[in-house]
Amino acid sequence: MTDTVLWYTTRGAGAVSLVLLSAVVVLGVLSSLRFQSESWPRFLTTGLHRNVALMTVVFLALHIITAVVDPFTHLGWLPAVIPFSSYYRTLWLGLGTVALDLLLAIVVTSLLREYIGPIAWRAIHWLAYGSWPIAVIHGFGTGTDAWSAWLLALTAACVVAVAIAVGYRIRTGSPDPLGSARIAFRSAANRREDR
Amino acid sequence: MSELRLLAGRDLAAGPESLADHVRRLGSLPSSGHELIDTVERSGLLGRGGASFPVGNKWRSVAAKSRGSAVVIVNGAEGEPQSRKDRLLMSTRPHLVLDGAILASRAVSAKQVVIYIGEEHEPARVAMARALSERPEAEARLARVVSAPNRYVAGTSSAAVHLVSDGIATPTTTPPHPHERGVAGAPTLVQNVESLAHVALIARHGDAWYRTAGRRGAAGTLLITMAGAVSGPGVLEVEAGTTVAEAVAMAGGATEPTEAVLVGGYFGAWVDAAQAWELTLDAAALRARGLSLGCGVIGVLPKSSCGVCATARVMRFLAAESSAQCGPCFFGLRALADACDRVAERGTNRDDITRLQRWATEVRGRGACHHPDGAVMFLQSALKTFSTSFAAHPAHWRRQPA
Repeated sequence: MTDTVLWYTTRGAGAVSLVLLSAVVVLGVLSSLRFQSESWPRFLTTGLHRNVALMTVVFLALHIITAVVDPFTHLGWLPAVIPFSSYYRTLWLGLGTVALDLLLAIVVTSLLREYIGPIAWRAIHWLAYGSWPIAVIHGFGTGTDAWSAWLLALTAACVVAVAIAVGYRIRTGSPDPLGSARIAFRSAANRREDR
Repeated sequence: MSELRLLAGRDLAAGPESLADHVRRLGSLPSSGHELIDTVERSGLLGRGGASFPVGNKWRSVAAKSRGSAVVIVNGAEGEPQSRKDRLLMSTRPHLVLDGAILASRAVSAKQVVIYIGEEHEPARVAMARALSERPEAEARLARVVSAPNRYVAGTSSAAVHLVSDGIATPTTTPPHPHERGVAGAPTLVQNVESLAHVALIARHGDAWYRTAGRRGAAGTLLITMAGAVSGPGVLEVEAGTTVAEAVAMAGGATEPTEAVLVGGYFGAWVDAAQAWELTLDAAALRARGLSLGCGVIGVLPKSSCGVCATARVMRFLAAESSAQCGPCFFGLRALADACDRVAERGTNRDDITRLQRWATEVRGRGACHHPDGAVMFLQSALKTFSTSFAAHPAHWRRQPA
């Protein structure tokens, strides 16, 4: 009975993590687009992005811990952080580990943003575009419910949502309204050859 | 003015004073060290770059963290459009500035001196570079000349530090202040050239001597730039505590009836002529009245000019000088300049006046540096001083400068 509970929890938390992670990506893209409307101020996007990300971490932890302690798989703790070190479904599970490691890098640098500065933080944050698709493939490859209609529909909805957001982001380019002015100013304020 | 100090000596039109002439006139560089900070502190000397910060205080903070690693930046960027005093000082009395820089480097145990000069001030840069080559090798090796890009904000101390460190003269967020973490992380003293020139004299004659000049409770002398409708515009050395009326008289008097006086330059404030004449050129006294000596620009606006149009021109300039790093500054100043333009060009409308008043309060304090703050303080002084003009401005838009 106990192991069935663990198994169900792993699957449930995995599905919830997929939905939450996709929402985080969409919110992240929206905040980089500086999306806003009368009823949706910009701080709402960034606030939700952060808090949903935090919630994702909780469900991911649940997903991973229940999988590791499940006596059926005998995974041990190592495959949770070291990719492709699991005897059990080495590739598909390893992809989940890769996605997790990338996500950990993003979480840690976000917590330390004050110290590492916005440029390094932003560079690491681009890893989100790697982590999310890998996580989706992991779910698709190893998920017990991968071929069930409800999870297929859920995965498809997540992929469509992220695809629309990213597609829009690619089309509009950098929406930084200060960008061109800043570049112009900087080229006028840079160091001259000392004569 | 009974006695010139910084501008004493031979005719200014004769160009830069050589090291030999400088030493003959004033004696050689005193061999002071850290203890000079006490003297400077007792003198009460205030910085002449615009903020009027006590010089001794700043030196003490840098010295406390230095351990031989500090950097001295001699600030001769002089980006204030109407100011002329710093370039005049550098191009006529370069050794006075260098003396001050070397004394500062000894007092704070600095390992290098960067002489930061506005790229458009060609004669000043030539004079300073030549003066440096006349100095003893140990001093010449310590210092180098670096060009400041011709941008208003390039003279901000954090921008000077940013240029020397990273090659970009854009202001950065403070704290950390340059005196805590400046060039390459080292504590950095950024000091205006006039302040350093005063130190060169204080080190020779003492703090008590410094205070023998000054009127109405103020100490020392000041370089000010007289601009606008006066017979003899240009740089004057006056005793601190001199009134605006006396300074205008020294500049040959106003050429026309005066509407208002700009005290302190573009980061200063407009003052109605009736109240301006009795103001004293004394940083503390001006501050007590909500004004600022700034870099010492006194601009006289004649009644034949238009305060609204003059304000619109300055606001457009300040908006264009935002380094586009902070949204409230870049967009806020642009919106304010647009509203001023509309009033100047098409005449007063109630909406724009309300916007100017509201936005001015909203922009304040929302930049990484004080560029937006200075701009809106200038604007608020205009709204007050020219309140009748702003309330009923005709659509004339006078583009020519006052």
